[in-house]
Amino acid sequence: MNWARATSGYDEIFDADGRPRPHYAPLISILESFTKEDVERRERLQRLALMNQGITFTVYGEKDGLERIFPFDFVPRIIPPAEWKTIQDGLVQRITTLNLFLLDVYHEQRCLTDRVIPAELVLSRTEYKRELLGLTPPKKVFTHVVGTDLIRDEAGEYLVLEDNCRCPSGVSYVLENRTLLNRVFPEFFASYPVRPVKEYPTLLLDTLLFVAPRPSQSPVVVVLSPGIHNSAYFEHSFLAREMGVPLVEGRDLLVEGNHVFMRRTHGKRQVDVIYRRIDDDFLDPLTFRRTSLLGVPGLINVYREGNVALANAPGAGVADDKAVYAFMPALIRYYLNEEPLLAQVPTYVGLRPDDFRYMTEHLDALVVKTTGDAGGYGMLMGPFATKAERARYLEVMKTNPGNYIAQPLVHLSSHPTHLDGRFEPRRIDLRPFILYGDRIRVLPGGLTRVALQPGSYVVNSSQGGGSKDTWVLAPREP
Amino acid sequence: MILSRVGDALYWMARYLERAENVTRLLLVTEEVATEMVGLDEDLARAEWNDLRVIFPSPDGDGEPPRRANALAALALHELSIDPRHPYSVFFSLKKARDNARTVREALTIEVFVNLNETYRELEGYNRRQLADRPTFRDALAATHRGILSTAGAIEQTLARDPGWLFLKLGESLERVFRTAVVLRVKLPALVSPEHSVDLPLFHSRWRGLLRGLSSLENYRKVHGARMEPADALEFLLFDPHTPRSLRYGTATVKDLLDQVSGASALSLPARVMGKLAAELAYQGGDVLRDDQCLLFLDHVLGELGRAHETLSTTYFGT
Repeated sequence: MNWARATSGYDEIFDADGRPRPHYAPLISILESFTKEDVERRERLQRLALMNQGITFTVYGEKDGLERIFPFDFVPRIIPPAEWKTIQDGLVQRITTLNLFLLDVYHEQRCLTDRVIPAELVLSRTEYKRELLGLTPPKKVFTHVVGTDLIRDEAGEYLVLEDNCRCPSGVSYVLENRTLLNRVFPEFFASYPVRPVKEYPTLLLDTLLFVAPRPSQSPVVVVLSPGIHNSAYFEHSFLAREMGVPLVEGRDLLVEGNHVFMRRTHGKRQVDVIYRRIDDDFLDPLTFRRTSLLGVPGLINVYREGNVALANAPGAGVADDKAVYAFMPALIRYYLNEEPLLAQVPTYVGLRPDDFRYMTEHLDALVVKTTGDAGGYGMLMGPFATKAERARYLEVMKTNPGNYIAQPLVHLSSHPTHLDGRFEPRRIDLRPFILYGDRIRVLPGGLTRVALQPGSYVVNSSQGGGSKDTWVLAPREP
Repeated sequence: MILSRVGDALYWMARYLERAENVTRLLLVTEEVATEMVGLDEDLARAEWNDLRVIFPSPDGDGEPPRRANALAALALHELSIDPRHPYSVFFSLKKARDNARTVREALTIEVFVNLNETYRELEGYNRRQLADRPTFRDALAATHRGILSTAGAIEQTLARDPGWLFLKLGESLERVFRTAVVLRVKLPALVSPEHSVDLPLFHSRWRGLLRGLSSLENYRKVHGARMEPADALEFLLFDPHTPRSLRYGTATVKDLLDQVSGASALSLPARVMGKLAAELAYQGGDVLRDDQCLLFLDHVLGELGRAHETLSTTYFGT
């Protein structure tokens, strides 16, 4: 077998001397026992399984052939127990802070009066929902499900790249990737104590039931999807199936007498908890975007009355804003009086004139992102952009500086990935999933996304990325 | 109980799956019957294809059809198998079945979805040029037919018998009995007219084709033996209580399902329509088989089935 090593950034498998790190050694020797033909045959089986099971996602802006499979690489990413412990503790600390921050900005706004974060930065975000000021979600939970993106710097230290507090997606692939790898390369599992991930739907349902307004009444939980044309539709349907709850669209729900009901073949039934995979703006045309056909008229009123729980809570999006992110270390210190356990990427905030000047002068060294967008849309990779591209971007930036943040390019870590019969280093990130119910739980695993183009930093599925099974190892018995 | 939208999608998924099965089977049978016929009587072969194009009409009516039987066959084989714009092509029906299944995957099992998806993808892989070769065509359509049947098998073997199941079975049985009625209504005028009864072997082979097209030839033989008697065959397709594609069996099945959906005590509007129709078919005498009586009766059956579909949709799906 042919293994190429990373030329820049941290190499997940090989150390500086080119030796495999100890937790990868068994995997490499198993892979070495396969012939090239074995591997190719297994890969064909794997592609067929993905196609036939309809494990696909939708790409916007393409015509009818919009279903695509999410490319899967069979070389698993392995995280040893000690590394995972740091990640887990850091994430719990972070999610606790995010939730405290949300409670604060929708109530007393202490962090604004104490100038921990500029008030205009928070209040000017479109994700900050004035309509919800003073409202406390059931059990004071805003961020029921969070997917936080982590990367590793040159030294291998994990850095938080961003938090996703709205409708983070990808967890269905975490589960499906495990099933797939188990089917295609069962030999891998014998040498490793891999922590299971299949508990996730049960944990998610527990999380949702925890916030039900009528806990004694065997609450009705539903998953609310924008419908089949949404890029994450497979996941919506997958989670509904796995939890055994109805998958609904806006048109299936109606509001009557300050309660939410679903329309059924034999009369309507009250709904208690909505795991909504629709953005705030589309939830309720009477409160937010008037033209939305995806939502449920009157839903926010029912929520206001405490007769339905929404997960994640409306308004939670302000916490994962890319400009708010820059203040997370300060917020952790402010609310918890602790030092952040996970580092993050230095961030320039366009709203601060000095930062913005720096950004305009160093565009060729920075990755610039718009604060509102997700999925890699609307960003500029300064070091890889042409002069003309940078100039064009700069013109647009100047019209609304507050809409931009910038970060130095971090050389994401690389992981061997099987491409055309060779194991090539490709850049990866990691999105663990965190559930906030009666306590905070981090799923031992996550979505490892991989940039399939050589040298590329863009791992988003919408931009041609793939994914890997992610193994968190259980501590071995002494 | 289930969401109205889910009930609606399951109903249509099953209708389209059943329709795909019907078109596939009728294409395979017509192709075989017409191939043998064309040297003996080109007009008859042409009529077989014409009938099929009336049973499954194209929306644009597409002008004058080819005059030669073989050219007409090639046209019909293409448009009814893989033409994505023809609303009765096997491809179109399978796509619709799959589209509906995709919107309600949480109401299905992985076995059902995977079987349906594989069948669809396999047919999607063929192009017009490949299917112009008749053995390839037969092979491809036979594989599609097996795929549809194995999807139906997965539905039977793996799905819970809940309200969703009832709406699936309703879609399947309503489509099935409706298609039998349409096939009979289109084919009967030529089959009962005396002029073609001259060449008996050919005449009988057309009746056998009709029975096979409704997957009832083997079941007919179990009751009447190998001898082909048109009156017996017609009576069998209308009134036999055991063969799944007879009108009597089909209407009784739809009625039973509607009773289960509404619950024992309540009588729903569609159950009322289907109850009367099922009773007519169960107690109807042979007099209806005479001459034009039969065509009038078939028109009546088709009208009532249409009414059952409409009342079913408004009662349960709010459409």
